[in-house]
This record gives sequence, structure tokens and C-alpha cells, in this order.
Amino acid sequence: MDYQLSPLEVKMQQEVAAFCQTEIAPRAKMLDRSSRPEACTYMKENLKMLHRGGCLEPGHVGDIIDLIAVYLAGEEIAKACPATFLSARASAFLCAGALRLFGTPEQKQWYIPPIMEAKQVGAFAYSEEQAGSDMAAINTVARKDSKTWLLNGAKNVVVNAPIADVFLVLAYSEKNAGAERGMSIFICDKGAKGLKIGKPVETMGLRGVPVAGISMDNCAAAGILGGTPGKGYEQVTRILTMGKVGIAALCVGIGNACTEISVKHAKERTAFGKPIGLYQDVGFRLADMFTINDLGRMLALRAAWAINTGEYEADVLAACAKLFASEAATKIANWGMQIFAGHGYVAGSDIERFYRDAKFGEICEGASEIQRSMIARSELDRFLQA
Amino acid sequence: MDFSLSQEQTMFRETVYRYGRDEIAPLCEEADFKGEFSFEIWRKLASFGILGLPFPEEFGGSAANILTCCLAGEALGHAGVDGGSLLAWGAHTYLCAHNIYVFGTEDQKWKYVPKLASGEWIGCMGLTEPGAGSDAASLLTTAVKKSDRYVLNGSKTFITNAPVADVMIVFANVNKAKKHEGITAFIIEKGTPGLTTGKPFHKMGCKCSSTSEVFLEDCEVPEENILGGEGKGWFIALSGVEWDRCTLLSPMLGAALNNLDSCARYANERHQFGRPIRNFQAIQHRIADMKVFVEAVRLAIYRVASAKDNGQMLNPLQAAVSKVYAGDRGFEMASEAVQIFGGYGFMHEYPVERNFRDSKLAAIGGGTSDIMRMIVSRIMMM
Repeated sequence: MDYQLSPLEVKMQQEVAAFCQTEIAPRAKMLDRSSRPEACTYMKENLKMLHRGGCLEPGHVGDIIDLIAVYLAGEEIAKACPATFLSARASAFLCAGALRLFGTPEQKQWYIPPIMEAKQVGAFAYSEEQAGSDMAAINTVARKDSKTWLLNGAKNVVVNAPIADVFLVLAYSEKNAGAERGMSIFICDKGAKGLKIGKPVETMGLRGVPVAGISMDNCAAAGILGGTPGKGYEQVTRILTMGKVGIAALCVGIGNACTEISVKHAKERTAFGKPIGLYQDVGFRLADMFTINDLGRMLALRAAWAINTGEYEADVLAACAKLFASEAATKIANWGMQIFAGHGYVAGSDIERFYRDAKFGEICEGASEIQRSMIARSELDRFLQA
Repeated sequence: MDFSLSQEQTMFRETVYRYGRDEIAPLCEEADFKGEFSFEIWRKLASFGILGLPFPEEFGGSAANILTCCLAGEALGHAGVDGGSLLAWGAHTYLCAHNIYVFGTEDQKWKYVPKLASGEWIGCMGLTEPGAGSDAASLLTTAVKKSDRYVLNGSKTFITNAPVADVMIVFANVNKAKKHEGITAFIIEKGTPGLTTGKPFHKMGCKCSSTSEVFLEDCEVPEENILGGEGKGWFIALSGVEWDRCTLLSPMLGAALNNLDSCARYANERHQFGRPIRNFQAIQHRIADMKVFVEAVRLAIYRVASAKDNGQMLNPLQAAVSKVYAGDRGFEMASEAVQIFGGYGFMHEYPVERNFRDSKLAAIGGGTSDIMRMIVSRIMMM
């Protein structure tokens, strides 16, 4: 047992951090305040920069995903620019990662390298207007027309949709077989006939992320992920369980950034003759910020390790990490705002941007309420009388 | 990173859990109600080798590393052993016997550790004074050298195990001018003239640990009873911090696991409005929060323990995190457990009630939560 990071892990994380702080962080404010079309251009540039800095690769080797490395690199990207992390994750982890885990050799060879080299952008489209955590409620369907699968339906919020070249789309390939055996993930190219990408939507936070709805009208899919239909539910569940560690990375990264700038402000800002950080109301709050962020990181690493090693209960640990880290991030951003006070409340301050960004964690990919229900069910079922 | 437990550790935890559940937990309700130190529980802990865990076999122990000690604390708390009995064990084994084992001379080690490891003698440690709690360096107890002896005067308070102790480590200052560098640790045996203990306090929780004041009135201690050398007391007091921040907290993790189990079981069995209360989201979400808490606090505690076992330097931030989180969030979660049990949770016969009272200690003993925040914020503001 060793609860500390290895020297190699520390080195990798420091390298990603150094690159992201120099190259990515200075662009974060610009991304947040730009128009939607501008943000799309800037984000494509950011993804290319991440590739150049070697920030997309850690943890992605061959057919294997090492979630601890993915987490450590992700935390640093998110700390520099949360929006860039979310976009990079949708491309390199959710889309290329799903291909890596479930794709046929041909699919892997064709799609993964250009995405990892940021020549192409990937997207992962699963939720719908009426189907978020209740994934079985999706309405998108696919039917086979001679050799081609044709998709019909719509996905309302898809990260990276405006800039994506490759979409993974969850649909019923056989509705009567039910969610667990009737769903498949389809690969769709940007130019596929019948695929329409909506206008980029405005969001409260993470405004650098290109987001849009997509609709499919007899859209011809390039293929089924892995080649065999009926495995979509299992695949999407697995990638989203791993994805919870990614959301924890987003949140801990935000928490880290907020804590760091808050400490700096608490040292520089004086009131009644001393730095405000020396007053207990501020100092103790900084301590709380550190504590919950530190625990969020530990829970995320614990979950990553459990998933890497195929531990029983790994899904529950991932839910614990996502729930804890996301609630920690909003608390930390809120306390940070309180420490910055008027200086933070003005538009364009870093803490103001993080404050808006942080809220996403509690909402996305299974809101806190869903995480709690899932964790509780697992605990309660231990004592269920047969 | 490696979060795994060895098969041996997993089995050890399971064995201790079963022993605690079958042999000790049934005694705890009554013992807690009496609010007295339970020699019966003490003998049970001793006969299973719990009291001597960290010491080498020749001293009557089983050479367990610090993580294994934490597993034992967790397992016993999980099994339903009361926080007071486990606190008595902690004060005895870690604060007294282990300090003698680490800092003692060969003579001191052989004289005290085997008898403490077997539980024949009970140990305690006296640092806190009426006017020196978190600010321990300001202690007023003095030790004045008189030929080959030291004469101690002063008083200690909140000393766990003092009323039943055979051996005490007492901190006194030999030279006030040197402030904390004058603080010296002395081993004092029961019956030494000038040493008396007060009546056991009535406490809110951890009632089976016996706590009282200690009075030193011209108490003469031979100089060979100095532990670790003159002026080394402050170092000894601080050196135990890793043990404090994991082994003494592990029973709190155990109690939270005990609460989680009993709440999850109860929520399945208890029916209201025609359905088990597990169907209500307000119940579910408390259970979920309790689960998140046990996972997070386990990581915080084990991290301190594994760092110590792997010979890494203590990270004061990591130590403070485990203490403040176990204390503050632990108390909130223990309160939620009572809430799930409703009226029954308010009754003494339900362990959630006892765990609730016991849990408050984690935010107070061994440095309050406020002190932990002070430590963290000072480091951050450096």
C-alpha cells in the first residue's frame, strides 16, 4: 500500500502543469468572453496545443486506459482552463477512449490517431431532451437499410458538436430488446448525409466549450462501435463510470485554481493593518478549501485505481468521487468569491469565471441527486432480505 | 499509488471484526451506561493481543505496522465496540507504551512494555493542564532536580486512563526560562508518594474510558525515569502525531461504518406509510453521504498510516486533514444516523446514540478542529 504518487506520476503531472500554465491558462479568459464562433476556433487551437505539449496522451496507451494518469493530467488541464479540459476530454477520452476500449481493430486504426493528434475532434452524443440519467428513455433509433445503419432522432446538448469530425451516437438498434440489449453506439462522420449540427448554444460557465444539438434524419452511420449491435448500454455505462473520474478531475482542477488564487489574494490584500488571510474567518476558510479539495483528489485517485484494477464496487467509488469533488468545487469557488469580495464580483475576474464553471460538475453526467441515489441503493441492497 | 490491502491484512481485519462483534460488542451497552472503565472489556482486548499490536514479539506484541493497527481500530469500531474502550486502548498503547518503546532506555523498555502489551498494567499520558490545552507548550507543571531525583509539582487534567493507570508519562518543565525546550517527560508509577488522581469525570461520550485530573505534590521521581532525556519532552509529545492522526482516529472510522451498516439495515426493515423507509429519498441521501464520508475519511487516515509505514516524512497538511474531517464531518454524519432511527435513535439502547456522543471527541481530543484549521491556514499563508 502506498497512498502517495510515484516519482514518475509526479513528474508527468508537473510537466503537464508547466505546459498548461504557460500555454493554456493565459487563453482561458479570452475563451470565456469570446463569441460562440470565435470560441470554436480558439478551442480547436487549444486542442492542438495540448497535443503539442504532450497533455492528451498520458494514460492512453494501446488498448489500455490508465485512469490514474488520465486523472492527473486532466486535473492540471482543468486547473489551467476548465473549458479546455472538458472539450479535450470529450474528444480524447470519451470518443477516442470508447473507440480504444470497444472499437474493432480497423475502427481504432482509422479514428484514434487523428483524434489524439488533434487533427480531428471527437464527440460523444448520448443524452437527449428527455433522457439524461434515465438513459433507457432515449428516442434515437437506428434501422438497417441493406448494409447501412440509418439513424433518426436528436441529441440536444453535445460537447464539441460544432467542431467535431467524428461522433459516437447512442441509439436503439432494436427497441424491443430493451435498453440493456437493444442499444448500440454508432460512429458518424461529420459529413454524413442527414446529420445536422445545430447552432452553438450559450452556457453559464465553461463558455469556451463548443456545445450544440445535433439531429439525424436518415443519417447514414459509418458503423457500429465494435461491429456488433446490442452492446451500447454496457459500453456507455462503462465509459461514463470512468468518466466520473474525469469530472472529478475537472472539479479538483477548478478547486485547486480557486484555492491558489484565493491564498494569493489573502496574502496581498490587507485590512486593518494585516493580510486578511491572518484573520481566522479567512484563514480557516482557506483551510477548509484545501481540505475538501484534497479529499476530492484522494477519492478520485481511489476510484481510478479501483477501475484500473477491476475492483468490486468501483462504480460506487467513482460516484462518491464525482459527488464529493463536484460539491467541493462549488463550495470552494463560493468561498473564494467571498474572499475576493468586490474584486471577485466584477466581470472578467478569474474567480468569477471559476464560480460559473464549477456549477457544471454538480449537474453533468448524473446530477448529485442521481449519484446519491446510486450510492444509497448499493449500500441499502447489502441488507436487503432476499 | 497502490490502495490495496494484502490478503493477510484483509483477513486480520475480518478476524478482529468477528471477535469484536461476538465477544466485546455485547458488553458495551451496559458498560457505557455505567460510565466506568470496564476491566472485562480490557481483558478481552488484551487476550486477543490488541493491546500489544505494534511491539516486537519479544516484548509480547505482534510487530504490526501502523496500518495494521488502524485496521484493528476500524474493525473493532465497525463491530460495535464503544469509543470509550477503544480510546482507553489508544491512550494506553500508543500514547504511553509506544512512547516508552520508542524513547525509553533498554531498562525502561523491558520494565514497562511487556506488562503494558499484555494489559497487566494500564498506561496513560499526561500532557494537558487546566490552563494548557491546545497551547500545550505553556504547561505549568515543574520538575526541580534534587540530587538524583526530580521533584514534580503541578496538575494535569482530562487524562485518559489516569484513574486506572499503573504507569504514567507526565510532562513537566525543568527550566521555565527555556520554554518548550525545558519540557521533559517522566515515567511515574502508581503509588509514588505525591501522585494522586481525581475522581473520574462524567463525560458526554467515550464513557468507558476513565478520565480524571492528576495531581503532583512534591512528587519525587528518580532521574532514571526521565524518558528520552532532559528537555526532550516537547519532541516526544509532537512525535506521536502520526499515531494520533491515524490509529486514534481509526475507531471513529469504525463507528461510522457501524452506523452505516445499522442505518442501511434499519432502512430496509422499518416501514412507514406502507413501504420501507429506504424508499424515501431523504433517507437514501443520508445513507449516500455516510458512505461518501467513510470512503473519504478512510483514505485520509490510511494515507497518514501508509506514509509512516513507508518511511515517508509526515505531511502536516495530510495529518490535519484527517483529523479535521474525521472530527467535524464525522459528527455531522453520526447525527444523521440518529436522525434515520428517529425516536429509536434517541434511545440509549441503540448504538447510533452512543456513536453520536462518542463521535464528538474526534473534533476535540488531541488538538481541536480549530487548531487543525490553524495549522493548515498557517502553512498556506507562509
